[in-house]
Amino acid sequence: MKKIAIVLCVLVLATTLFAQGAKEDSGYKIFLITMDQSDQHWVNVDKGAEKAAAEIGGITYKWLAPDVKDDAKQIESINNAVAGGADAILLAANGLNAVTAALKEAESAGVKIVYVDSAANFPAVRTLATDNTAAGNTAGKEMLKALKANGITSGKIGIIGVSSATASTVARENGFRKAYEGTGFQLLETQYSNGDAAVAKDMSANFITQGVVALFGSNEGSTVGVGNAIAEAGRQIIGVGFDKSDMILSLIKGGHLLATMAQNPDVMGYEGMKTAVKALKGEDVGSEYFDTGVSVLTKANL
Amino acid sequence: MSREIANPFKRMMAIRGIGQVLTVTIGLIVLYVVFGFMNPVFFSSRNISNLLRQIAPILLIGIGQSYVLITGNIDLSIGSVVGMSCMISATMMTKGANPWVAVVVTLICCLGLGLANGLLVSLAKLPPFIATLGTMTIARGIAQIANNNYNTDSIGEAAQGFRDFFYYGKSFGLYNTIWIAAALWLLFNFILMRTRSGRHIYAIGSNVEAARLSGVNVISATTKAYMVSAFVSGVVGLITTATSGMGAMDAGNGYELNAVAASVIGGVSTLGGQGLLFGTVIGASIWGVLQNGLQFAGAPVAIRNIVIGIIVVVSVLLDVIVRSGKVSRKKRIVSAT
Repeated sequence: MKKIAIVLCVLVLATTLFAQGAKEDSGYKIFLITMDQSDQHWVNVDKGAEKAAAEIGGITYKWLAPDVKDDAKQIESINNAVAGGADAILLAANGLNAVTAALKEAESAGVKIVYVDSAANFPAVRTLATDNTAAGNTAGKEMLKALKANGITSGKIGIIGVSSATASTVARENGFRKAYEGTGFQLLETQYSNGDAAVAKDMSANFITQGVVALFGSNEGSTVGVGNAIAEAGRQIIGVGFDKSDMILSLIKGGHLLATMAQNPDVMGYEGMKTAVKALKGEDVGSEYFDTGVSVLTKANL
Repeated sequence: MSREIANPFKRMMAIRGIGQVLTVTIGLIVLYVVFGFMNPVFFSSRNISNLLRQIAPILLIGIGQSYVLITGNIDLSIGSVVGMSCMISATMMTKGANPWVAVVVTLICCLGLGLANGLLVSLAKLPPFIATLGTMTIARGIAQIANNNYNTDSIGEAAQGFRDFFYYGKSFGLYNTIWIAAALWLLFNFILMRTRSGRHIYAIGSNVEAARLSGVNVISATTKAYMVSAFVSGVVGLITTATSGMGAMDAGNGYELNAVAASVIGGVSTLGGQGLLFGTVIGASIWGVLQNGLQFAGAPVAIRNIVIGIIVVVSVLLDVIVRSGKVSRKKRIVSAT
């Protein structure tokens, strides 16, 4: 019974490999591997990469991603891409060290690695990502500008983070705090919501009870929580957040949030694909780090 | 009997498990006063009404977990059912369904999951840890598939009535969320303390074989407990949707363990057969007061986690010590006679 099962598995594997082989184009085979499939963010990275692939032409492009964020599943995706004959992988690494062993194997198989959105502790061709510290700093400055315009020069400010282990949002928070060095504002201890919008709402309401003049959310869930709490309090509190979702945009349109920092995932995918092709052709790819920047979305420019 | 009636205090003390409930109630009062002195804002009426509303969802899932724990089982699917409820209701509303229709459909789906939990544990005799681990994953999967692997858009202006009913509105000076939790607590406390179903739930938790032999329908009682758990989780999911105004696939992540904590701190035994829903109120309140109070005190999140962890361990330890104390006392009495 066991033997039959093994034989069947091998057969299935072989046919899929042949099927992929049959499709193979003369050009490069490039895979995009993200943290999961569900986030709109990754969908936009995929769109950008697809657009670049279509422009360049002759590229077999495929988006592989685990259904949920999971280190083991991402490693599996990397291994599958290498087994599937990838020439290059555009990777949004789950963590700094989680997948480095798989990347080492990929590199020794001759695969070029380009990081999009988030890098790992392993040398790659190039990293195309939002500089989160710079983006957080932009958020802080936007908020400061609005506070000054309202004639507020001192007071408490609350921050809703995701968790102390999420490098990207911690960097945003650090950048945000930097914008307030030497000002009369007091930044309170960061509260971590794990990105749960309902939890973030409670934490924001507690901050408002403490009399904050402004609130900052470092990801989508936190920002939704901040916006809902300000909407409920009905006070003149400046709310600035991160990410772009329908709910956040409706909170901005309703006047409850001042601004949100939208990343440019399409740029990551687009430029990432171009970088990968350049690297495969042996051309110069430019600087090691490419800041894809953030767009500041406000009521005025929506 | 007549003597017990003459002394109401003694009669109250005769209720099983009341000892720990009283201990943690004193703990809650101490915590509350300490936080109030650390930051006077804590005592403000604004904060008190906010705090009560923050406690309400923890109390609701705590009621569910308490029911299941009292039967001697556990429900790990609570957090995922919250997420499933949030996503089903929000998806329906964004697709234009009437919010109240969405509420009914959502709660029916949640009850279905509770039914599955109950039957898997009682009829198929799967270990509750495994059965509800499976349904936990299934419910999270349903949450993800509900809107095709995306968080939903805003549920919009049309759902404002729904949002007010479950979260933002006030009745008689208190947030509706608090009234919902109080009403469900009264209902489920009545069922547990005053009806035959309630007595059966205690009976199967104390000794499932003895209960079966004395004619208790174990399958029915276990399933009822799991359906209560799924129902209150569904309600919390609706509260979450109302709070955020959108559906999030990872809503409720980890709530099942918050529910265990609220129950256990309140003296509900993880070994089954013992626990009072009044204790769950105290347990949920301690949880809420800690979350809220430590934020006002400006404590870093790590400190909060450590404090909550210590309180959970100490309250279970208390339960174990009290139980073993009783046993050894009984043994002493037996050996003395």
